[in-house]
Amino acid sequence: MTVLFVVITVIVVALIFDFTNGFHDSANSMAGPIATGALKPKTAVLIAAVLDVVGACLSTEVARTISGGFFDDTLITAPIVLAGLVGAIIWNLVTWLLGLPSSSSHALFGGLIGAVIVGAGFASVHYSVVVSKVLLPALVAPAVAGIAAAGATALAYRVTRRTPRKYSEKGFKRGQAFTGSLVALAHGTSDGQKTMGVITLVLIVSGFQASGTGPHWWVVLAAGLATGLGTYSGGWRIMRTMGKGIVDIETPQGAAAGAATTATILASANLGFGLSTTHVATGSILGSGLGRRGATVRWSVARRMVTAWVLTLPGAAIVGGLAALLAEHGVVGSIILVSLLAIACVVIWRLSRRNQISHHNVTDSADVAVLSSAAASDTPGEPQLNGSRRSDIAPPAKAERPKQKKRKKQRSAA
Amino acid sequence: MMKIDWAALGVVAIVSIFVTLAFTALLSGGIRLVAQGATPVEQSAGSQVVKLAGYALLGLAGLLVLFGIYLLMPISG
Repeated sequence: MTVLFVVITVIVVALIFDFTNGFHDSANSMAGPIATGALKPKTAVLIAAVLDVVGACLSTEVARTISGGFFDDTLITAPIVLAGLVGAIIWNLVTWLLGLPSSSSHALFGGLIGAVIVGAGFASVHYSVVVSKVLLPALVAPAVAGIAAAGATALAYRVTRRTPRKYSEKGFKRGQAFTGSLVALAHGTSDGQKTMGVITLVLIVSGFQASGTGPHWWVVLAAGLATGLGTYSGGWRIMRTMGKGIVDIETPQGAAAGAATTATILASANLGFGLSTTHVATGSILGSGLGRRGATVRWSVARRMVTAWVLTLPGAAIVGGLAALLAEHGVVGSIILVSLLAIACVVIWRLSRRNQISHHNVTDSADVAVLSSAAASDTPGEPQLNGSRRSDIAPPAKAERPKQKKRKKQRSAA
Repeated sequence: MMKIDWAALGVVAIVSIFVTLAFTALLSGGIRLVAQGATPVEQSAGSQVVKLAGYALLGLAGLLVLFGIYLLMPISG
């Protein structure tokens, strides 16, 4: 009975993680096409969501380990998986609230590592693997994609220098739609596997499934649908940062960035040096800004983003570790943990409503404002991020102001 | 000990940059030629050839996209 409860809890929480993974990563494929108007926001996320589900169903090979070599596979238990997932979800939500693209896989690994440290001590983590699989790729990915995108941007402008805008706009937009879709499909085949692996592993560990068998069809379907729904919901805050916040993207830049993201992700997946999609996509957009003369790159946004990347693993590890303290106390601990997770989700969602970003206003402004200045102390965990961001926050776009007033009126009326 | 596969890293970097440039060259070259061939003032037999060449480049760019889809299929791995 207890086992069944824990298993069901893990499956539900894993699917919630998949949902956050979806809306965190939809910007990777579609921020560019939406920013240049190559695809309408709703159309873009619908395409990305469908391709996510298709990709998840395509990939029959499921990651055999979820430890990634960061620690011993034998240390994995259902409570540790649960705690790790909670750490990853919270981190994903906080970075989403701040509009920061950060790697969902790093968040998952961080959460699991934190939970393992609490369960088995600091010595159980292989830190050299952390360096070679997390730190180094996080430096390499944006560099490679950035160089590729900068070169491609310069090339695209050079070749089409004398081409009438009418033709170049249309052509580059089409190219962008294709590369964006390809990235979405790639995301489905890779990220869908992670949760399927987690759920299958927990089913095997608790004796509901024979060891060495593949995932059940309902696991594949549920994981695919959860990611797809997350993608469709859009993650508009991150979309705005990537599409508008770092650079103002013109269509040739968007096409170049899309090509760089696609090429780098496919190359890294097939040639044996794994890179995070998020880092690649961000690097491409940054590079496309460097490749066009006269384009302004907002380095303050880029710096804030890099800070988030550095903090992702340790941040998720801390939350995962705290969660593990609860999850180790059987059913009661798990119930408390899941309730706390639910409360955190609601609080973060309500904070996001103060300055809502949706498909209507995603490209209206470049900034993701989170809190009115009076309420800035609401997120004590992120002092540096808030400190650096408030100095460069522009006043909210005109389109957002009337809405805020309206909402205030409604609130006072109620 | 720390094992970093520098060779794989180098290959990924070179292939990524090369393929990106190739795709962009095909796409922008195709756009340029199609536009050139379609500009009314230059309509002639020659402009038809230019236009066709443009579509050929766009077709090659499309083939690269198809190759990408092929790479994502489980059979290729």
